[in-house]
Amino acid sequence: MIAGVKGLLITIQWLFRKPVTAHYPEQHLPVQKRYMGFPGLLWDDTADEPFCTGCMVCVRECPTQCMTAVMHDNPKAKEGTSHRRKIIETFEINLNRCILCGICEDVCALDAIEMTHEHELASFARNGARADLQDLLVLGRQFQAAMPWQAKNPEKNVAGIALAKKDAPASTPASDTATPSPKEESSA
Amino acid sequence: MTELTAVTFSEVSVIAAALTALLTGLSIIVLSLVWIERKFLGRIQGRVGPTRVGPFGLLQPVADGIKLLFKEDASPAWANKGIFWAAPLLIFIPSFVLWITIPFSNDWVVRNLELGLFYFIAFSVLSIVGLVLAGWASASKYAVLGGLRSAAQLVSYEIPLIMAILVVVMVAGSMNIVAVVSNQESVPYIAIMPLGFALFMLAGIAEVGRTPFDIYFAESEVVGGPFVEYSGAHWAVFFLAEYINTFLIAVMAALLFLGGWSWPFGDLPSLAGLALFMGKTYLVVVFIFWLRGTYPRLRIDQLMSIGWKVLLPLSFANILIAAFQLFYGWPSWTLTLMSLGVLAVPVYFQIRVQRQPAMERARMYAERAIAHRARRPIAETGAVARTVTVKEPSA
Repeated sequence: MIAGVKGLLITIQWLFRKPVTAHYPEQHLPVQKRYMGFPGLLWDDTADEPFCTGCMVCVRECPTQCMTAVMHDNPKAKEGTSHRRKIIETFEINLNRCILCGICEDVCALDAIEMTHEHELASFARNGARADLQDLLVLGRQFQAAMPWQAKNPEKNVAGIALAKKDAPASTPASDTATPSPKEESSA
Repeated sequence: MTELTAVTFSEVSVIAAALTALLTGLSIIVLSLVWIERKFLGRIQGRVGPTRVGPFGLLQPVADGIKLLFKEDASPAWANKGIFWAAPLLIFIPSFVLWITIPFSNDWVVRNLELGLFYFIAFSVLSIVGLVLAGWASASKYAVLGGLRSAAQLVSYEIPLIMAILVVVMVAGSMNIVAVVSNQESVPYIAIMPLGFALFMLAGIAEVGRTPFDIYFAESEVVGGPFVEYSGAHWAVFFLAEYINTFLIAVMAALLFLGGWSWPFGDLPSLAGLALFMGKTYLVVVFIFWLRGTYPRLRIDQLMSIGWKVLLPLSFANILIAAFQLFYGWPSWTLTLMSLGVLAVPVYFQIRVQRQPAMERARMYAERAIAHRARRPIAETGAVARTVTVKEPSA
């Protein structure tokens, strides 16, 4: 009997609380900072270019093989404004096939790819969720703007350090020189 | 026969107009009930309820109704078609016919019957026929189970309901509902008979099958009970009848116990009285929804034991104390005291049971079950009643 009255009081308390419902299309709840959404490519502000050199590690390690990457010679390296001798030319991820496992982020030695907060991918086309280099860079820049992001391997990546050691180019990471093996993405 | 022939055409047309107004008003009230229930339950559960159709989701019940009317009216292949299609009407007609004698104000009533409460009791019992027939004609095991459950439940809870109404009749000295209300002008009957009000509400909620007592709809057990095979407009008729019945119980509670349109501080004009009456009724309705949002559904054995072991003795005690008070002409506050005293008995036992430590309660139930089994040894299998020792609760 006491418990029954207590129950009534508890339910009536909720009448005066704010409902927890968020009306989704109009109102987006922020995700947690640790949230792992779809991968994006990060932007190196010091050299004003992507971190990614197209080394293909993530492409090879991806369990669903949803990525392709092509590298080319970095023109900025010839000008001397960047330490990256190779830079990404095209990068495509079929986000519909991505399983958000985060392996690409783990294997990347250059802080180039990171799981962003992007998670809303509804599209009308079958291939509507294919992200090219520009899309991935946009995702990465949004992620960097939203988070206090810091490079995990700054000694390999921060262009300023490398540029200071311009006289000693042997210090550039070995993975930069990995042979590109562009692989045709198998169609879904 | 003279009275029959004396009914003129104008009288008939007035009654027809009143019935049409009643049906329209009830439909609008049902729409409002659905909206209130969904909003109220939503807020109780931390949701917001309907918001999309119309401002604050006000048009959501209308949209639901339109959807139901346009849905296919399917019936099972093995259903007994005639009874299957007639059952919704058999439920709806009694619940609508009842409203003929319900007064909304001193003079706003279709027919002010002298035996209005008797008429109410007689017709409120009839909906059980529709439920059982709907369950049987659907040719579905869930529907049959639901129909039989509804029969058991409605028969059990009719007795306390009628007994509670009977005490009101005893105290008021009339079966005319308008007279019952006018007797409450100074003090509403809830102040005189709290026990009667509690009995009436519990039995009434069980009678219309609202949630703590909705054994015969029970989605988790009989997936909707007698209505499981219905769809479209016929299901809508069931739905309409269910909400009309809910509103009816609230209206009767407001009329019989809360004083209807009367007001302890003097006379009210007719419209203000109607507003007061509707306010009291909607308060009771919200209370019913509140119970729905709070309590889980009873098991069928719990339902039966509450009906027969608690409500029935209490309703007889209610009649007894009212009879003593009336016979000896004691002042009415003595009835209040006796009523509260009787109401305190189940409250005391409930509290005593709940105060016991859980282990002792489990031990009590186990011993009771063993004793029960020992009374009925199973002769065929040769099994004999065994004495089972209950483990002492470890400190």
